[in-house]
Amino acid sequence: MANKHPNLCEEEHFNAFYLEHIKAVNNFAFYKSGDKSVALDLVQDAFSKIWENCSSVDYTKAKTYLFTTVNNLFLNIVRHQKVVLTYAKASPYLDKTNQTPEYLLEEEEFKNKLQAVIADLSEEQREVFLLNRIEDKKYREIAELLGVSQKTVEKRMSAALKILREKLNNKTI
Amino acid sequence: MNKDNDILKWFNGEISTEEIKTMYPNEDFSALEKAGFYSKQIETPHIDAKKALADFKTRSLNKTKKETSKVVPLNYKMLLRVAAIVVLMLTCSYFIFFNTEASYKTGVAETTTLNLPDDSEVVLNAKSQLTYNKKEWDNQRLLTLDGEAYFKVTKGKKFTVNTDAGSVEVLGTQFNVKERRNFFEVKCYEGSVAVTYNNETTVLAPGKTVRVVSGKMIKIDDFTSQNPSWINEESSFNNVPLWQVIEDLQLQYNIKIKVANGVDTSQLFSGSFTHKDKNIALKAVTIPLKLSYKINGNDVEFYNYGAN
Repeated sequence: MANKHPNLCEEEHFNAFYLEHIKAVNNFAFYKSGDKSVALDLVQDAFSKIWENCSSVDYTKAKTYLFTTVNNLFLNIVRHQKVVLTYAKASPYLDKTNQTPEYLLEEEEFKNKLQAVIADLSEEQREVFLLNRIEDKKYREIAELLGVSQKTVEKRMSAALKILREKLNNKTI
Repeated sequence: MNKDNDILKWFNGEISTEEIKTMYPNEDFSALEKAGFYSKQIETPHIDAKKALADFKTRSLNKTKKETSKVVPLNYKMLLRVAAIVVLMLTCSYFIFFNTEASYKTGVAETTTLNLPDDSEVVLNAKSQLTYNKKEWDNQRLLTLDGEAYFKVTKGKKFTVNTDAGSVEVLGTQFNVKERRNFFEVKCYEGSVAVTYNNETTVLAPGKTVRVVSGKMIKIDDFTSQNPSWINEESSFNNVPLWQVIEDLQLQYNIKIKVANGVDTSQLFSGSFTHKDKNIALKAVTIPLKLSYKINGNDVEFYNYGAN
């Protein structure tokens, strides 16, 4: 078995594993915590857990282990933190033909509201929603990543969408 | 329900935006569509994977270094903790296994019946405290009493009741001990009781009483009752000074009794009062002594009848 799979205790393999997953797991931690520095801390802690237990972590399950560890570590830190979300710069607008200042202003306002509503979602709803939106992941993939059933993911997503609809519609009226 | 499912499918890419709009033509999906669109643009933290890995390496190195240097103080602390726990457990077990003092206490207007390890029965009257040593009980039946209690002692070794005023020794009998400020009284109901007061021992036969008021031994007529009246929720007195009766009234009813000028509290009272009704009790005490009383909340004042 040790011959079949790369051993994480060898630095070369560990580095490869690290570089392969750092971005995804860091995003995941960010969706959960909504704080960049907290996210990176969580991720580094999770990687060091794997490094410490390298001999007992099965390579095929290392990715799941990594995400689960981030999840658990997150639950250990103070639960409620201010969620800070920003948009990537120079984001194009939905209706690219309509560029009147009024439309742009409205859209800007909408984006701010959206940001606040997403930040207000529960950490479970937010991670599902953002994994789906930003990473274009299907519910099945998210379920696999989180180690929960697809039904659970759909429930969380549904709840998130319901909140978004209610709050965004209310505010625009 | 179905719509929610379709919205879920739409966000999962199974249904296109055009499709869902034709499925629900009356529904306004613009907010969700915009939300879906703009949330894609939310910035994710930019991360330099190589740099993060380098940071990670220095971090975990530092961590292992710290851990090795910390090993000694950590163990030392651990040792202290273990020592503290051991001391705590020893102390606890001392109190659990060796401190065998048993104590019973009653509040104002409260009586309690308890059984001693040898099946002797004690009825504790209001505002009294009884303590004894459980472990020593088999060798020595010794109790300390503060207040008033009625004892039914099973036959056996010497049974001693210590009070601040004097001590009572018996073998197997029934007797009542009453100890108050400047007042000490032992009544024997069955068997015989030896009462020691100021190194002077008196042996009581059934129906006899020893009473010491303000340091003076007083002779009391024989009584015939089978057990103390307070057991039947009544206090009875036979030529007892009024101040002592007042003290008992205060214990049974949680009241404060004041005495007006001109009332002689050393006059003797014979009679009884009930523990069930304050007014009846107050009348039972005041009327035979030609006194009257006023109640004001918990305060009661006694005054000479006709003086007011």
